[in-house]
Amino acid sequence: MKIISKDHVSVLIGVIGFIIPFFLTIPGLSEAGHVALSIFIIAAIFWMLEPVPIYATSIMVILLQVFFLSKQGLLFPEITAEYSPNAYTDFIGTLANPIIILFLGGFVLADSAVKYDLDKNLTRILLKPFGSKPKFIVLGLMVVTGLLSAFMSNTATTAMMMTVILPIIAKTNASDPLRIGIALSIPFAANIGGIATPIGTPPNAVVIGALSNQGIDIAFTEWMVLAGPLVIIVLLVTWLVLLWMFKPETDTIPMDLKGTFQKNPSAMLVYLVFATTVLLWVTESLHGIGSSIIALIPVTVLALTGILDKDGIRQLPWEVLWLVAGGISLGISMESTGLAEWIITNIEWSIFSPVLMIIIFSLVAIVMSNFLSNTVSATLLIPLAVSLATSGVAGEGFSLVLISLVIGVSASLAMMLPISTPPNAIAISTGTLKTGHMTRAGFVVGIFGLLMVTLYALFYWPLILN
Amino acid sequence: MDHKIYILIVEDEIEVMDALVKDLEDFETVFPIETANDANEAEEVIHYILDHGHKVGLILCDHVLPGKNGVDLLIELQKNEDTVRSKKVLVTGQAGHEDTILAINKADLDHYIAKPWTEKELIDVVRGQLTDYVIDNEKNMLAFMQVLDAEKISEAMRKHKMTDH
Repeated sequence: MKIISKDHVSVLIGVIGFIIPFFLTIPGLSEAGHVALSIFIIAAIFWMLEPVPIYATSIMVILLQVFFLSKQGLLFPEITAEYSPNAYTDFIGTLANPIIILFLGGFVLADSAVKYDLDKNLTRILLKPFGSKPKFIVLGLMVVTGLLSAFMSNTATTAMMMTVILPIIAKTNASDPLRIGIALSIPFAANIGGIATPIGTPPNAVVIGALSNQGIDIAFTEWMVLAGPLVIIVLLVTWLVLLWMFKPETDTIPMDLKGTFQKNPSAMLVYLVFATTVLLWVTESLHGIGSSIIALIPVTVLALTGILDKDGIRQLPWEVLWLVAGGISLGISMESTGLAEWIITNIEWSIFSPVLMIIIFSLVAIVMSNFLSNTVSATLLIPLAVSLATSGVAGEGFSLVLISLVIGVSASLAMMLPISTPPNAIAISTGTLKTGHMTRAGFVVGIFGLLMVTLYALFYWPLILN
Repeated sequence: MDHKIYILIVEDEIEVMDALVKDLEDFETVFPIETANDANEAEEVIHYILDHGHKVGLILCDHVLPGKNGVDLLIELQKNEDTVRSKKVLVTGQAGHEDTILAINKADLDHYIAKPWTEKELIDVVRGQLTDYVIDNEKNMLAFMQVLDAEKISEAMRKHKMTDH
């Protein structure tokens, strides 16, 4: 019987890390900055070593900030020259941040789509034009996966697509590399597709939330225009990479996806709500109604009609919302206490050119999120990027939106390991491929992604943003 | 994973037991197999498994055993909170009409395999039963996907609202 587990040690390290800044006086860092540093350290250690679930750490972050950093908390009841404390409502308010509401809408929509098999039926229809040649089937699978994961969770999309590809894999010769290619195409396409819209995957929410704290609101359409072209090119290149690395031997794949669209009134309503909401989201720039406001439509309509029932509400993935809210909340005090700026000013940025800075942030985000949760990686990096841009140490022309996008997008480009993302974990669990296959292909995609992020950040994004 | 899910085989004839274990060896990497020769031993083994924090996922049980018969054993296990969820399969050539009805009604029998079985039939039944057990009882289904019905587990994960993080 082990008395001290790895988790106990992780908790201990986190708590010690939390205590240390209270006994230090760091020059250039405000008193509140020390407290924020404590919270940052315990959060980072808990998120990295995971002695507790990552959403639990996020909720703890909000509590610690309310207790120690808010105006109503224990330490900073008064406004001082170096710190004007946030109201505690700023921290708990992140749970109702517009981006959280947008995600809520996305969850409700995705859940009802799954409930009425809309995801499966769309897949069936959308795959038809891709014929039966292996290379086009793989392309079709990737396009459909990418498209669905832009609006549903990458993980749920992957699980659904597994039910499509496992029968194909079972019918393919055991030695045909195509099996590996197909098994990798799904998680990779899901990871990449999640970048395409604000609701695609939680790191996007962290970026959008951090920017909105800075008074910059990114419209749904704007995000899609910024991220969409990158998603398309990375998806296509990933397709080619997978075909090249795992050359199919067979020349036809039997595809017989069965199923029919449900035609009962509830299902029809779900189709209507789904189509309307998505349409309103992607046309935000035309009508100007914010995507978070539109997100209330599916929630309301589906609740009123009983399609979203009590059980459905209870089963929503609330922990993801907590995770994102905690991340946004941490960013608030890293900014307001001057902690983020202090971290930034400790690095001599003037020796880096803007290109190099983009590459560094992208690379760090990709490496981190290969090992950590993508959301956590974005959460830990975004405050630094925000400070870098707002403090001016990075020099003129260093755009806040630009560097935030670099981090958000890069966090989703990590797919070298089974632990990198839940879709990767699903793919490896099928036993169709080995970790080595994933690492090699994921490495190529990561490097290409890094290159593309850099090029987009240099040439394409400034064009859209200015 | 903090606990293992066991397959328990209750069979008194050595040759039959060996054949069953051999047919199921592909599952053993994920689902350890324990064996018992009669009902008493089966109960001891089950206690041992549960005491160590593990679970019994599937019980393959012969009917004619020395001492208490297989159907009675399964009925008792069905009354026990710790084994009520375990999948119960009779592997027998000799359970009569009445015993079989009893097993279905009182032990909530999940499947009946008639001796002699074919390897494929046995593997299919075991895979199906363990898949259902894992879907109903395990939070992390991924660890079992490779030896079980991956398609069915994927479908269950789709319905279970899996999320990104």
